[in-house]
Amino acid sequence: MDRLLPLIQNETLKIWKKKRFYVVVLVLLVLIPIFTYAQMKIAENNQKNFRDWRSQTMQQISDYQNALSSERIPEEWKRFRRIAVQQLQYYLDHDVNPRSPDGVTFTRGFMANSVTLFYPLLVLAIASDLVSGERSSGTIKMLLTRPVRRWKILFSKLVALTLYVSLIVVASGILCYLISGAIFGYGGWTMPIFTGFLINGSDVDSAAVHAVPQWLYMLMQAGLIWFSSMTVAILALMVSVLVRSTAASIVTMMAAVIAGTILANMSSSWTSAKYVFAVNIDLTGYLAGSPPPIEGMTLLFSLLTLGGWAVAALIVSFGVFTKQDILN
Amino acid sequence: MRNIPSSNLWRTVSIAAVLSTLLMLTGFGYAVKDMLWPQGETFIGESPTTPPPENKSLSASSEIRITAFGDSLTKGTGDATGEGYVKQVMALLTEKWDKPVSLTNNLAVNGMHAGRLSELLRGDKGYEYAISQSNLILFTIGGNDLFQLATGKSASEATGEVDLDKLKEQLPSGLQRFKAVIERIHEINPNAQVVYMGLYNPFYDIDELREGSLAIQQWNQEAYAIMHPYSNMTLVPTFDLFENTIGTYLSSDHFHPNHDGYAQIAARIVQSLD
Amino acid sequence: MNISSASKKDPELGLPEYVQQTAETVLYVQGLKKKIRGKPIIHDVSFDVRAGEIFGFLGPNGSGKTTTIRMLVDLIKPTAGEIKICGHDVNRDPEQALRHIGCIVENPEVYTYMTGWENLEHFARMLRDIGIDRINEVVNIVRLEQRIHDKVKTYSLGMRQRLGIAQALLGRPKLLILDEPTNGLDPKGIKELREFIRMLANEGMSLFISSHLLSEIQLMCDRVAIISNGRVLAVGTVDELVEQAGSYVVWQFDKPEEGRKLLAGEPDLRLIAPDEHRIDEGLLANLTEASITTMPAERIPALVEKAVRAGIGVLSVQRIAPTLEELFLKMTEGEGIG
Repeated sequence: MDRLLPLIQNETLKIWKKKRFYVVVLVLLVLIPIFTYAQMKIAENNQKNFRDWRSQTMQQISDYQNALSSERIPEEWKRFRRIAVQQLQYYLDHDVNPRSPDGVTFTRGFMANSVTLFYPLLVLAIASDLVSGERSSGTIKMLLTRPVRRWKILFSKLVALTLYVSLIVVASGILCYLISGAIFGYGGWTMPIFTGFLINGSDVDSAAVHAVPQWLYMLMQAGLIWFSSMTVAILALMVSVLVRSTAASIVTMMAAVIAGTILANMSSSWTSAKYVFAVNIDLTGYLAGSPPPIEGMTLLFSLLTLGGWAVAALIVSFGVFTKQDILN
Repeated sequence: MRNIPSSNLWRTVSIAAVLSTLLMLTGFGYAVKDMLWPQGETFIGESPTTPPPENKSLSASSEIRITAFGDSLTKGTGDATGEGYVKQVMALLTEKWDKPVSLTNNLAVNGMHAGRLSELLRGDKGYEYAISQSNLILFTIGGNDLFQLATGKSASEATGEVDLDKLKEQLPSGLQRFKAVIERIHEINPNAQVVYMGLYNPFYDIDELREGSLAIQQWNQEAYAIMHPYSNMTLVPTFDLFENTIGTYLSSDHFHPNHDGYAQIAARIVQSLD
Repeated sequence: MNISSASKKDPELGLPEYVQQTAETVLYVQGLKKKIRGKPIIHDVSFDVRAGEIFGFLGPNGSGKTTTIRMLVDLIKPTAGEIKICGHDVNRDPEQALRHIGCIVENPEVYTYMTGWENLEHFARMLRDIGIDRINEVVNIVRLEQRIHDKVKTYSLGMRQRLGIAQALLGRPKLLILDEPTNGLDPKGIKELREFIRMLANEGMSLFISSHLLSEIQLMCDRVAIISNGRVLAVGTVDELVEQAGSYVVWQFDKPEEGRKLLAGEPDLRLIAPDEHRIDEGLLANLTEASITTMPAERIPALVEKAVRAGIGVLSVQRIAPTLEELFLKMTEGEGIG
């Protein structure tokens, strides 16, 4: 380990010096205020139309129910709505506001909505050129002719990547809380959030439902986001090893992630799609109790699928990186 | 690392990153534990604290809060502008009394029938809360009980296939459920003004179905009898609007009123209120 | 005369030394072969580099120089053959073997978004026991003190080259591998580099320098290996190879036509037509109407006497050594024919 630590330091500093993390923070600094503003407008509108959160929740339930009674709505959507209705009802029945307008709640929602596309994108900003960047700049020749085994170099890159993925998730949470808190207030840490909804077809089994304080919910959610972001990061590292150009590496990964998101929204009938990694990215959905993209998917299934992809990607990355000839 | 002093940058970044990673791992571990071995426990938040509205007549109250529920008529189906009668009642009330009129909720759901409604009134905290928070309650119910049960289809699809005998058969059980609804509303909020919109026969212009109007009238009459004991409840009749002027006031689905039809209903409701 | 075939028989050219690894052999390469996508790129490369010598690695572009160098530093795995650095096999034990090497493969590519100092720190961390003192030392050696804390993207090519060398020197290597080090440098830079390389060699370091510019090798190197189409054609000291190539004798007479006739009659002398010789045109610029010949040097006095007796005045007789270009072309021609 004493030989690995300097290597990890090298890789961590290089990512920092390349200003990749600045870019991530900058993107967050631009996007969060936009979403905060949008949320503020929605909140203002709700305040105008509804006396309190109960009315608002009631209205949402009856809107969903009306949508359910329409015959033009696809069955898959109805399933989502039915489940949402049951969950909202649960909140209502237990006198808990599912969407209190405060900084913590906003941050929780922002992070949950970002898990399928936004976090992968931020992770790719750092992961995509880890190896391909060294290749295109030619510095890989310097790096690999030092008396250090290749697996150690790739491993140190992987560790540095892990550190930055953690930093991205934490930084996004902190920035989001600080910015949105300025508008919605900095409270909401102890607000109870229900978790443990079990989905059976279009029914919700609330036997295991329990309330957790919102800070704990956020922590769990961040942990799940971290796990799926790590899977994306490891896959991006593999692509970066396999593909020579950084642009090609980003495009490949983005295409995979976006394709997965689209599949997740339309693939109810093609059930084998559940083995695609990008369909499993939204782990936070299990926490919130939203129905999985494909029936029968569970948290354990998604964790194993993502884990399987990650392990395979690591095997390929290390296998190729330690053996490949550096020809250019 | 050895002999090369670590920079402050590396120290800061690495410590922050390692702490973040540990935090994420903790969160992940906790989430997995919590999700894979969940322990259900009931949690009840704080009950509503908003005070119910003043116990006065509408004209004397400082504000009017409306809760509407029931079937597609309250939802406003058939009105191309989407207003239905509820929104139009609000506009007319504002004009009439010049005081704040707000809609607590319009909980109407297409296809609602009396049985389901009485279940919701009993089991759904949201209904209870909305009703208790209002001083004016508008609702419609019964149309689906009579037509849906008589045809086995949803009311709006039933055009021309109504079996009048079945319609009559449904009356007693439908009215019983209606009674349960009225009693429950009274239980939740005995002070609010409650306006029920009576049924009409959308098939008045079809000769063989015109007879259905008699059954409808029977419903209206019985409903009136059920509501009669409660002085705060009113039944507003609508059947006469949809006899000779059926072409003017019914929408193209030949079942729901159109915008003008709802406007007439709204006007009657407002006339009945004080 | 075919040097390549001759060299394989001649023990003086050093070929048999591959077999026995002397204690002071820093780099030992034997029977190196490489196929890339099934196509043989390197057929058979063997040579060795001894302690303290400057070893030239000569070949035209595309001859396999860079591929060979990449195999030396573990960027490419050989299909067959053996590479040992200070006795450690590069493929089996890269951590031990590469410890003794500093190298710049092709261009000195360092991290342009970091300062020179940060680059050196970066590479120092990849070595054992290299600290601030050593970094300062190499910065001084390559004379980058003034700009070492500037971002590398502001450096000129020459400065990057120096930073690359500083990086290569960090680990106190026994062997420094430089791939086309003079590429892109101005004449002043080239001269400085040459002096610098000589200085390093004087301090006991071995240098392995590849080039397609034969004059460079001739000026810098003690020994040279010549590679073409993935094969080493010859290995030897620069002088030995020049000797093997033979030399031209250029005659200038006051009566050029008669002189030429006289020379043509000599048995062990060959006249070279003006468009066939491969002497640097610059050297011939002052020798108008000269006759270029190849002949044994010891016959010159007798021939001068003969010319004078025949009434032909000899203005000058010069021996002109062929350039390595000449040598190289001779060998590759041989290769082509054989």
